[in-house]
Parts: sequence; structure tokens; C-alpha cells
Amino acid sequence: MHTTAHAGRPGVNWPRGVVVALAATTIFLPLFLIFYQSFLNAPFFMPNKELGLEAYQFIFDDPDFALAFKNAFLLAAGLTVIAVPLGGMLAFLMIRTDLPGKGFIAPMLLVPIFVSPMVMGFGYVVAMGPVGFYTLWFKDIIGFIPWNIYSFASIVVIAGLTHVPHVYLYASSALKSLGSDVEEAARVTGASPLRVMFNVSLPMVTPALAYAAVLVFFLGFEVFGLVLVLGDPEGHMVLSTYLYKLTNKLGTPSYHLMAAVAVCLVMVTLPLVMLQRWLLKSANKFVSIKGKGARSKPMPLGRWKWLAFGLIFAWLMFTIVMPMSGIALRSFVQYWGEGVKLADVLTLQHFREILDQPALLRGILNTLLIGVIGGGCAVICYCAIALAMHRKPDMVTRFLDYSVLVPRAIPGLLAGLSFLWVFLFVPSWLDGMLKGMDNGAALWLSEHAIPALRAMRSTIFALWLAYSVVWLAYGMRLISTALLQVGPELEEAARAVGASRGRATRDVTLPLIRYGLLGAWLMVFLIFEREYSTGVYLLSPGTEVIGAMLVSLWATGSTDLVAALSFINVALVGTGLGIALRFGVKLHN
Amino acid sequence: MKRDIMTNELTVDDLHLDYGTGAHANPILKGVSMHLQKGEVVALLGPSGSGKTTLLRAVAGLESPKSGTIAIGERKVFDGEAGLEMPAEQRNLGLVFQSYALWPHKTVFDNVAYGLKLRKLGAAEIKDKVAEVLKNLGLGHLAERYPHQLSGGQQQRVAIARALVYNPPVILLDEPLSNLDAKLREEARAFLRELIVRMGLSALMVTHDQAEAMAISDRILLLNNGKIEQQGTPQSMYETPDTLFVAEFMGSNNRLPAQVVQRHGPQVELEVGGRRLRAMARGTGEGQATTIIRVEEVKVSAEPADNAIELPLLTCMYLGDRYECLFKNANGDISLRAYTRHRLESGNYWLQLPADKLWVF
Repeated sequence: MHTTAHAGRPGVNWPRGVVVALAATTIFLPLFLIFYQSFLNAPFFMPNKELGLEAYQFIFDDPDFALAFKNAFLLAAGLTVIAVPLGGMLAFLMIRTDLPGKGFIAPMLLVPIFVSPMVMGFGYVVAMGPVGFYTLWFKDIIGFIPWNIYSFASIVVIAGLTHVPHVYLYASSALKSLGSDVEEAARVTGASPLRVMFNVSLPMVTPALAYAAVLVFFLGFEVFGLVLVLGDPEGHMVLSTYLYKLTNKLGTPSYHLMAAVAVCLVMVTLPLVMLQRWLLKSANKFVSIKGKGARSKPMPLGRWKWLAFGLIFAWLMFTIVMPMSGIALRSFVQYWGEGVKLADVLTLQHFREILDQPALLRGILNTLLIGVIGGGCAVICYCAIALAMHRKPDMVTRFLDYSVLVPRAIPGLLAGLSFLWVFLFVPSWLDGMLKGMDNGAALWLSEHAIPALRAMRSTIFALWLAYSVVWLAYGMRLISTALLQVGPELEEAARAVGASRGRATRDVTLPLIRYGLLGAWLMVFLIFEREYSTGVYLLSPGTEVIGAMLVSLWATGSTDLVAALSFINVALVGTGLGIALRFGVKLHN
Repeated sequence: MKRDIMTNELTVDDLHLDYGTGAHANPILKGVSMHLQKGEVVALLGPSGSGKTTLLRAVAGLESPKSGTIAIGERKVFDGEAGLEMPAEQRNLGLVFQSYALWPHKTVFDNVAYGLKLRKLGAAEIKDKVAEVLKNLGLGHLAERYPHQLSGGQQQRVAIARALVYNPPVILLDEPLSNLDAKLREEARAFLRELIVRMGLSALMVTHDQAEAMAISDRILLLNNGKIEQQGTPQSMYETPDTLFVAEFMGSNNRLPAQVVQRHGPQVELEVGGRRLRAMARGTGEGQATTIIRVEEVKVSAEPADNAIELPLLTCMYLGDRYECLFKNANGDISLRAYTRHRLESGNYWLQLPADKLWVF
């Protein structure tokens, strides 16, 4: 309903321009650096670098790279094949049937999304590894261990099962908008609930399932923490862990090789992200009932009821209860192995050790700070970008619309790496430029501003920036959902009464979305707590966060500390989730 | 026709407006000109898609026209050639939205006071003005309520109060009565007319209901597909329509399958069902002739009458204050509806069609 803006509007919209420029810089500068670095034959800070394709040649010649790439595909494909059907069925059972116990299942379903994959992987090792709690108890009962947690198949299964909630989110919101008459028609002709699910309900939400399939496929391609923990003992590598281990391979920071691997990764994920967005648009056209649809009566499951409940319970046990209980137990026992009695070894020693180490304490504090304060600042930035796109359907908005998708294609590990490069590269480049100019002001800047820029790398600001960019698409989605609730007439009424656009935004739009913003702040807090891979390359004294510390502590083998820290992390996330549920914040978009 | 700009509160000249640009441009307004004098109430009437709401929004500054001019009093607020477009917030008009668009996070008092706050009036002055306008609209006791605590009619009056409080030269109303249920609509119609006249306002109102337009306004502009089909007083629009579209939009009509036998200027002789009838020509006389007569103008009589045709009664429907009777001939090609006070017995009746009310377009 909007005509294009006519020439003759008074002046340029400066605040909007600044927001768009900053957003575009923080999104595209790291990506540009990755591409640039991949075409050099040495790290970019080396003086004798040249453009060339040596980096690509090296990795294409490396058999490990091909293996890692293949494994990544297998993992992603296997994960999708497991997660999509299970997620769809779970959604059907929860939304369309009279499954017992829905009340307590519902909040538990989304827990795997908010738990860090590092913690998950670690949880599986301590619960079901060769000397895991459950393994040993099973051995006592059955006499042998029926599974190997370190095999590639197990990794695929675990990854698939932990990604079921992602599919569930999209399938359930699609199923909610389905009228029950199509299912009732099937039942009248004689179809059992199972047939109804496979022949009617799930086919009708195919667009949502396709969207979810693409989403979990590229999430699977980016999986890092799980494979880092579970893949090491038997040497299974995927692309992200291959990149992480490149430094160990050659012994020196081989940024150009890492950049080449990164480019290969992004080349796969970026088209998938665009495909996913296109699918979302066509999924929205598929809504069959809007507004006051017929009151849908849940379908009775009859004799399938307890079987279904049992299966869901089994999934919950495997995906949530076992790893979490494993972590909890491990953090409270002194040591563990075969033949150790649980009651003998309970202790609070590990937590006391954490209190003794300033780096770890700093890490916990930083994690809290970056979640609460950093999350708040991130929400403010997302809000600014969303407002720059709000009610202004022009080229700038379209540009931003696609730009905010770009960071989604970059896994956290890469994003952290690229921001490290930004903070290394930009000051030196600026320094070189300023030194070249024969100017008093330039020299002064070179002496004072550049070291300050350099120092920023090891401040938490760099980490916060990386986090905010990685989760840009997620945050924007939260805020635009809130903005959609504000009818355009409310802002037009303000303008008709004499308020400028900016004034109308301040006095009408912002007050009306304040609860949406608070909800978004909580969600961003949760997602920042879960973060682990982004901080890995930005880890330095002062920027420790729990997630990144887990990665480095795991590498050194300090299982006790890892357990205790994981427990603290889960506690933080659990508190956040509890607050969210208490205040009825919608946990999904 | 050039109007005296001095007495015009609002002047629109040859306005063109498209939705979209370039290849997908969809022309909505195709050259609309109108004027509004002080103290006048003008209704923009038309079917859906005729462009009436778009015209209102363009005057308010919420849509961007392609070409033409809009002037409020002596100020030009839009000039396509000069590239001038004054933003909505500077036009100083009052706009009442169809959905009222009251700000849910502000009280009634704050909703109304916002416009005065933007104009930087002092707190005491704001309080006085708001209290006065709320009293005028019968809302004095509701100042501290929130919009969700008000009824539909009350919300509408708050929306009107908000638009009036800073004394704009023109108040714009977008379908003010369409959100109210039928009974409330009749009361609100009278209330609105009385308020506008008492306060000496100049108002431009959009509506798709011709009864509402005729009841409230001094002048009606009937839009058809982006152009003004006819404008005039309600009486002239109803009693002397220029085109078939106007005649059919403004009232309930009967159509007759009549053949034109001859014309003498404005008088036409028709043949229908074997009978000769006299009728009046209206409109340009181009294209195929269509014959219509308003339902209320058909007089039913049991005896033969002048300028009448004979038809058997099919059925009578009770409407409360009268009956609507349907007459149809044997092979079904001629049918007429007429109003009668009492139910009729079945049989043949003479339906008199007065020559000056039987129109041929």
C-alpha cells in the first residue's frame, strides 16, 4: 500500500545512513577479509605475501581435507534424515493428538537448542562413554556395552537427535495453522492415527518441513563442538574441526589455509541460507487456515497413546536427561571409573578449584556480563537496524534484508576467526595509510588511535561484536516479529497529528514493542550463554567465556574442570529458560 | 473551472497517483480535481477500488501522488511539477482513521493532548484545551481511561477529539461509521452532522455508503475507477444523475428491457412489452440505451393508468415499514419491484412509471 518516496523529501536520513553503514561494515568486512586472505600465500601481516592460489592447492591436495569435507556432508545428510521425520512426528503428536503429559514435555523439548553442543558432547562422554556412568551401570546389568559413543555412526545419531527440536519448531507452527477437518475426513474413511500422520498431516506441512530440512542440513554442515569432543578418540574429522586443527598440523598460524577452508565452507552454506529464505517465503503462502479457524479437536491416539508417550520419553531421556545427569554427577565426584562406588566420591572440590583460578572466575563473570549487558546492547543494535528497515520498502531495506542473512552462513568458529583478523588487519592497514600521509594530525592519530584500536582485539568488545554479528539474523527475526504487531495506522496517526517520522518512532513504535524487546533480550541472553565456538580464536586474558574455555580446557584434558564449568553453564541457561517460561516469553519464532 | 482560492480551505487539481513504479505501476487516481470551502462537508463516495481512500490519504500526506497540485488554504502542500511534497506532519490537518488508531499505551487524555504537546503548548493550556474538546464530545469523564476500556462509539469520539483539538482548517474522516453496528450507525450519523455544523468545521469524508453520504454531507463527489463521475448536492446526485453509474450507485433501481422508438430532445418514446411509454433522456446518449426507474417511483394501481404497463404479481416481501412486491411477466423478461403499504392479492396490476422519473441513459 505504499507509493515510492517522491523527490523533494527534506534532506538525507542521517541516523538511518549511519546504522546501515555500520551494519554493512560489520557484516561484510570480516567476510571480505576471509576471501582476501584465502588468495594470499601467507598470513596477511607477513611482509612478503603475494596473491596466489597456493592455499587452495594445499588443501585440495591434502587427503584429510577431502575426508573432512566428505564427513561433513555425511554428517549433515544423516542428521537431516534422522531429525526431519522425528521432528515432524513429534510435532504431530504434540499438536494434533491427545498425547498424555504434554504439559511437562513441552518446556523440555526446546532444551537441546539452548544447551551448548560442547556441553552436550561432554555430557555424552561422561554419561555413555567407555567409562560413563550409564555405561558402567548397564555393564553391571547386562554384562557388556552395546554401544560405542565414539563411532561416526553414533556421532551422526546423536547430532540428529539433538537437532530434532529445530525441526519441531517449524513443523509445529505449521501444524498449528492446519484445520482439523482434513484429518477428520481421513479418519472417517478408516485411517488409523499413524496413517493420518503420514498420509495427511505431514504432507500438508511439506513447505515447513522442507525449510526445516535445509536449516538442519546446513547446521549439520557447521557442527563443531560435538565432533570435537566425540570425534577425537577415533580421529573422525569434519570441515570445522579440520579447520581448527590446521594450526596443529603445520605448527604455525596458517591463516591462508584456514581462509581457504573457510571459503569452501561458506560456498556450501551461503546458497543453502538463500535457499532457506526462498523456501520460507513460499511456506508462508501455504497457510491453510488463518484467524478464526474451526476449533480443532485433538485426535485420539487410542492404543498408540502409551507407545507414543514411551518413544518421546525415550528421546527425552537420551537427549536431555542422560547427558545432563552425566555432567551433574561428574562435576560432583572426585574421580570416576570402573568399580568406583558413587557414594564414596561425592565432593564439591571441583567448584572450589574454580573459585581458586582467577581466569576461570573471570570467564564465568564475562559470560554473565556478555549475556546480560552484551545481550542488551545487541538487542539495541538489532532494534536500530530493524527500525532502519521498518516501513521503508526501498532498495536499502532489500539490501539489509539479504545482508543480515550472510552471517548465518558463517559458523561461529569462522566468525570469531574473521573478527580476529579484522582487529589485526584494520589497525595495521590504517597505520600504514596514516604513516604514508605527511600530516601532523595523521601522525598523532597513528601514535594514539592505532594502539587503542589494536588493544581492542583483546577486550571483550571484540568478542561482543563477533557474537552480535553471528546471531544477527536470529535477533532481527525476534525484533521484526515484535514490530509486526504495531499497525501502520498508529504511526500514521502520529504523523497526521504533527509528529515527524523519528518522533513517531520514539513516541509510538518503541513503547509498543517494549515487551517484545524484553523478550528478545532474554532470548539473546540464552543464545549468548550457549555460544562457544565464536570465542575460541578471540580467547585471551580478559576475554575468556565459559564456552571458549571449555574448548581449550578439553584439549588439555582437565575433565574435572570441564564438568564443573559445564554444570555452571547449564545452570545459567536453565535459570534463563525458567525466567522465560515464567513470564510466558515465546521461545520460538 | 477556476474557483476563488481565497475561500477554499482545500484545493486539489488534476491529481494523478500510481501504486508501484515503472512496469508495475497501477494507476489509482487518474486526474481528480476538487475543492472544499469553509464550513462545507464533502463526501468522497464510490465503490471499492475507486480511489477515494487513496485521495484522502494523498491530501493527508500519507501517499505520494505522481502529478497535480494540492493546496490547503493558500499553502501549496504538493506540486508535482515543482517537486514539492510537504510531509504529513507539517500539513496541520486532522485525520480520523477507519480503525480509530488510538494509541493503546496512552490514556484518552494523552491521546488527545499529543498533538498539542508537539506544538509546544504549555501544560496548563494543553489541559484546558483537551478538557474543552472532551466535554464537547461528551467524553469528559473518560480522560484517564485507556482505549481498550472504551466502547466502539467512545473510541470513535476520542479519535475525532484528537483530530480537532489543534483546530485544523480541514478534518479528514476515513469511513467514520463503517466500524459501528447498524443501530449505532444511525445515531452516530446524526451526532457527526450536528457536531460538524455546530463547530463550523470543514470536513472531507470517505464513505462507500450512499445513504450515509447523503445524510451527512453538503456535497458529494462520486468516484469511479480513479475519476470523478459526478459531483453535486445530495439532492442533485439522487434526483438528477448524469450517468448510469451515478443513477445505479445512488439508489435502488429497476431495469426495463425497452427499445427506443423515437427521440424529441430530452423526451424519448419507448416500447416495452408491446406498450408505448414516455420517458426522459439523461446522460450523453452514446452507446446502448439502458432504461431504469427508481423502485420507490413505481406506483401500483389495480386500474389502468397513464404511462403504465400491466404485470402479474409474483410475490410480496414484508420489510417492516412497507412491502416490496415483485412483478414479473409470463416469460420472465420484464420484472419490476415496487413498494406498497399493504400486502396485495395475487392478480394483474398496472404499474405506473411517471415519464420524468423513467430515465433512459
